[in-house]
Amino acid sequence: MTSAGPVIPNFGGASSCVLRNGLFCTGWVRQHWSDTLAPALLQHLELTLVAVGIGFAIAFAGGLAAHRYRRAEQPLSVLSALLYTIPSLALFQLLVPFTGITLTTIEIALVSYTLVILFPTIVVGLRSAPPEVLEAARGMGLTPRQVLVRIELPLALPTIVGGLRIAVVSTISTATIAAFLMPEGLGHPIIFALSEPHPFKTEIYAAGALAIGLALVCDATLVAARRLLAPWARRSA
Amino acid sequence: MIRKHTRRAARAAFAVSLGVAILLGVLAGAAGAATPTVKVGSKNFPEEYVLGELYSQALKAKGFNVTYKQSIGSTEIIQVALTSGQINFYPEYTGVIVQDVFKSTLSPKTAAATYALAKKEEAAKGYTLLAPTPFFDTDAIAVSNATARKYGLHTIVDLKKVPDLTLGAMPEFQTRNTGLLGLEHVYGLHNIHFVALGSVSSYQALDSGKVLAADVFSTDPPLAAPSKYTVLTDPDNLFGFENVAPIVATSLVKALGPSFVDTVNAVSATLTQPAMLAMNKAVEVDQQSPAAVAAAFLKANKLG
Amino acid sequence: MILADEFQPGTFVQALHFIAGNGGFLAGKALEQLELSGASLGVALALSLPLGVALGHLHRGSAFAIGASIVGRALPSLVLIGVFLTVLGIGFLNNMVALAVLGIGPILTNAYVAIDEVDRDLVEAARAMGMSDRQVLTRIELPLGAPLLLTGVRIAAVTVVATATIAAVDGGGGLGDVIVNQASYRLPGVLGASLCVMALSIGVWLVLLALQRLTTPRGLRAATLPGSSDNGKERL
Repeated sequence: MTSAGPVIPNFGGASSCVLRNGLFCTGWVRQHWSDTLAPALLQHLELTLVAVGIGFAIAFAGGLAAHRYRRAEQPLSVLSALLYTIPSLALFQLLVPFTGITLTTIEIALVSYTLVILFPTIVVGLRSAPPEVLEAARGMGLTPRQVLVRIELPLALPTIVGGLRIAVVSTISTATIAAFLMPEGLGHPIIFALSEPHPFKTEIYAAGALAIGLALVCDATLVAARRLLAPWARRSA
Repeated sequence: MIRKHTRRAARAAFAVSLGVAILLGVLAGAAGAATPTVKVGSKNFPEEYVLGELYSQALKAKGFNVTYKQSIGSTEIIQVALTSGQINFYPEYTGVIVQDVFKSTLSPKTAAATYALAKKEEAAKGYTLLAPTPFFDTDAIAVSNATARKYGLHTIVDLKKVPDLTLGAMPEFQTRNTGLLGLEHVYGLHNIHFVALGSVSSYQALDSGKVLAADVFSTDPPLAAPSKYTVLTDPDNLFGFENVAPIVATSLVKALGPSFVDTVNAVSATLTQPAMLAMNKAVEVDQQSPAAVAAAFLKANKLG
Repeated sequence: MILADEFQPGTFVQALHFIAGNGGFLAGKALEQLELSGASLGVALALSLPLGVALGHLHRGSAFAIGASIVGRALPSLVLIGVFLTVLGIGFLNNMVALAVLGIGPILTNAYVAIDEVDRDLVEAARAMGMSDRQVLTRIELPLGAPLLLTGVRIAAVTVVATATIAAVDGGGGLGDVIVNQASYRLPGVLGASLCVMALSIGVWLVLLALQRLTTPRGLRAATLPGSSDNGKERL
């Protein structure tokens, strides 16, 4: 630093598109892909995968339990319906006194929402085996455990994958709200852009498109997975 | 094929998820143990993002262990993060320390006096205030040029001439001495209809006519000439003096010693008004990322 | 570690004090939220209900009606609010439009499926009896499809009310204003408003559920127990 003051370098300026807040500045997207958009996308994907992974594990265990002990189902269903109505932002805040402003808080909330979708789905899926088939299996001498593993679970697969589709897409959507709590995920560039004197359109549209695109890609992947794992299933919505 | 492995796979998935969750928790806890880490935080607006990046990157370049949490929140929230130990370093404004953190109603008469008082108050709580920056960034009340012409507004007290005065600001403005309370006590403006702006910028609110006046920051790029907005003068110095100085836990300063202090102060010394204005413009107008802007500035000044 | 440095479940007691001490203010905020939600839901109903019923009656456009929900689910509310803000500027309108878009999916899909899946034999019999097309719709299809249709409306209503919370991001008002403003209202205030918005959502759900039960013909009530078609979640 000279006595005249610090050196102020050229920070790169901006294209005319950015300066007039044009509809979509592809130059900006290319330039800031690695420092703004890609990290947000990866954080978002991570949030989603962890939430759905843990949610599925818990829902699966719970679903098996409810399948065996029918009485467990009603209270768990009521609890899920209740949880479903809580706005995500409120749920994040309600967890803060317990787990602070951390990723843990965000994940607990996201896991709860996936449970709401996956638990009933798994239960319904496990019940979808036609009674005649179950009769036949028992007639053949299969133990309840073998019936579960060889008949009920495979038949439940299409329904379970259907539930996973809904859970993944909903989680990707809800994870944008996490940015209200911490600057994580694709919600952060959107909130940042919204707070500028002139909301920067390109950033909002780019982050929004990534969120929607991510959801659609995951949905399509799961549809393909279902076709692969359960080719006997009829194509349904 | 699938059937045989389904149950085993399910159990394995469950066990792995549980294991990962526990492992992450343990690692997070263990992270704090080794050499003292500088846990930097920043408040929730672009200028603070740049400041956070500047200090973090400069310290990392000098070999310190640094973690950086960006956009923790407003003053009230980041203070909780500081006092609870989640961070031990963040750049704060001297006037804000005196008036909002320690709740004095008026700030001292000079920038130096403000800094000295802030330093004393923080030291009593176990925090060291390192050297202040040359630049300052105070709150200000701005109106559109059209509104200024219409009512003949030059200074804050002129707002009394405006019937149905709507004033927009971040929600916390309502309860601050450097905010609505100050406007009432110091300038006698009692009939302000306050509009909380959430995440939306004051300039958006002024442009759309949602409010007639709004709280802005004096280093905001839209205020640089030629500006569409008129900043009302503050002769009674309600908004005080607001140079930036890093608040650091005294225990950390003691543990890391003079090289740490020198590194931080070297960065602060380069932050003149023109430098900060240029960096703010790069982030807010040219849409560059705060990290890249900070890196370029540090490199140009041989600090990063 | 996993727990916050300040483990403070006692804040909930303070939250209840906040609610008790600021009842009028919170009620006003809740009203603001209901206003925004009501307007959005109204628009969504006007757009999707007639369309869904018509498509179901004609047994056409199933891909569109069901796809609407799939696409709707993939549209994050924050993205919608952001996009409409850039198009319509900040104000009541951009939030209302964003929320209306969210309400369309459940209403359209459930209306379509409800009418489409009415027992074809009944419809045949009705036509054989000489009923006109309109009479088939109003006397057979709508009453029988009502439970599933109204479930879709209920889901849309709660989705809209709950999402209206984040309209606070652009000054949209409602209880979200308190939730995003921890600086002024402190954690007890934020928690109090969160509890209120939770109660608001659940309240809307229960009120609409009660209305649905009341307006369902007695003969059909047995069919609306949980576990049957009442579980509209799969339709989402």
